[in-house]
Amino acid sequence: MVDASTFLSISIAGIGLGALYALVAMGFSLIYKVTGVLNFAQGQLALLGAYGVVIFATPAVLGLNLPAVVAVLLTIVVGLLLGIILERVVFRHFIGEPVLSVIIVTLALGGIISGFLRFLVGPNFMSYPDALKPGWSIDLPLGASIGASFTLGVVLSLVVVVSLMLFFRYTVTGSILRAAAADEQAAMVLGVSIERTIIIAWALSIAITSIGGILLAMASGGAGFTIEAVGIIIFAAVVFGGLDSIPGAFLGALVVGLLQEYGSFYATGVIGPGAGEIIPMVFLLVVILIKPRGLFGTERIERI
Amino acid sequence: MSRDDTTAQHPVVELDNVEIVYDRHFLAVQGVSMEAQKGDIVALMGPNGAGKSTILKMISGIGLTERGEVTRGSVRYQGEDTTNADTNTMVDKGVTHILEGRRTFEDLTVEENLRCGLYRGGRRLSYSEEDYELAFEYFPQLEDILDLKAGYTSGGEQQMLVIARALIHRPELLLLDEPSLGLAPKLVQDIFETLTEINREEDITMIIADQNAKRTLEIADYGYVLENGQVELQDPAETLKDREEIKEFYLGTSREEGRYTDIKHYKIRKRWT
Ligand SMILES: Nc1ncnc2c1ncn2[C@@H]1O[C@H](COP(=O)(O)OP(=O)(O)O)[C@@H](O)[C@H]1O
Ligand SMILES: [Mg+2]
Repeated sequence: MVDASTFLSISIAGIGLGALYALVAMGFSLIYKVTGVLNFAQGQLALLGAYGVVIFATPAVLGLNLPAVVAVLLTIVVGLLLGIILERVVFRHFIGEPVLSVIIVTLALGGIISGFLRFLVGPNFMSYPDALKPGWSIDLPLGASIGASFTLGVVLSLVVVVSLMLFFRYTVTGSILRAAAADEQAAMVLGVSIERTIIIAWALSIAITSIGGILLAMASGGAGFTIEAVGIIIFAAVVFGGLDSIPGAFLGALVVGLLQEYGSFYATGVIGPGAGEIIPMVFLLVVILIKPRGLFGTERIERI
Repeated sequence: MSRDDTTAQHPVVELDNVEIVYDRHFLAVQGVSMEAQKGDIVALMGPNGAGKSTILKMISGIGLTERGEVTRGSVRYQGEDTTNADTNTMVDKGVTHILEGRRTFEDLTVEENLRCGLYRGGRRLSYSEEDYELAFEYFPQLEDILDLKAGYTSGGEQQMLVIARALIHRPELLLLDEPSLGLAPKLVQDIFETLTEINREEDITMIIADQNAKRTLEIADYGYVLENGQVELQDPAETLKDREEIKEFYLGTSREEGRYTDIKHYKIRKRWT
């Protein structure tokens, strides 16, 4: 029934897709880990990345016609800047307020971004420039192969997960960010500015999420509003990985990517179309029920 | 040298007729004037709720995060007006505050906790174990537990860790809030002795707020006794130790056991309420 070479192909597609989700999921975890905020605008931020390239590289929108590489870099820089601007005009005014208010602000932010993109670009699928539709793929054993955008996704998400782990584990700034997340006042008396931690978290997160959005668009030849759904899909990943764990988000995203691919190939016949989208969400419910802190979520040290 | 000349005219910190209010209407401290001279250890004593922590919190600026505000009078640091300045500003000027309750970062290892002491305005990019030498000089025990999570160390080790972490921060003025709280008498003695050494050898001015007046006065140069947000008594530590009021209410040698149990009660209350 299950033949090995098909299974391998599907597994590779799952890991490739999971790696793209991983970028968006790690962006989410980064914000949660540092600021305690659940960001409900991840899907729209990925969308912003995906359409950013369209805006900069195709004359249809703003009359710009920049080379693809420049457009990609500009999009990432815009992500970094957006993080800084958001801190300045929005988040710093919520320091000391209940985290719930900021979470609601992220919902509004998501709505604004997606409305803005509809206004600027329109609701239609926008094809990517040819330079961002690489045709190459890498051949793997058993007749399987992995396409360009998935390969880039795997490489980049590995780079991001390893860099972030090293950053939080070995640098002074990384340690103090973890410290500030645990005890804001005790970190402040050591010189941390909470404003700065918010800037670092959002700027890095939006930049990483943009890369995820661009690669998701590349995987389907261009940007479309369906990318927004990634904001919900990654919830399954980060809950499984334990919300504040970067490697947890990475692994969780791979699992979700695999589930989605296995689901649409093996379960569509049984469940019907949409199985690929349903199974990760069922998985999310099961994880919440049996392991609410996820695989690597921080357990508070309870002292006797 | 020239620097010493200019700062010598000013106390390190100087409070002039200070009133501190929380949440815009809760009056916590009233008409307090006090100062700490360079190189001194100043004791802030008084019962629970007297306003000791509040004063430290407004010197370091961390009180602003609790909606505290100096509403009257002024706070000066090295002669400069720093009334209601925020924590970042004060850290940059050389003030480090050790908060009440030994706030180690529990999920971080002892080494990572020390590393956080190296962060001052984000300027520090690289580090090595040599940076911790100052800490190990005074607290050699810490070197053996570097990889242990701070949350799993003993109360005494945690107190040493937060002092060591502050020391690595290289402050000019160190504010200590209840360093003896909940520690066994022998440990308190060790820690206070180490604080004296640090004060002398590193030339760090200290203000110690502690309910354990006996121990604190032993190492202090000058002392203030607060009650209901006001200064009740103040004198050089030597003189203060001999004052009848102090003997009766704070030092009562015959009641030392009693005070220790009082402190334990306080600790239990703090945890469960
Ligand atoms: N964050 C705060 N918000 C409101 N009131 C406070 C706060 N901290 C302390 N207080 C009040 O201020 C007064 C002085 O408290 P505190 O400075 O903590 O005294 P001490 O350190 O001498 O025990 C007390 O009445 C206390 O209840
Ligand atoms: Mg206190």
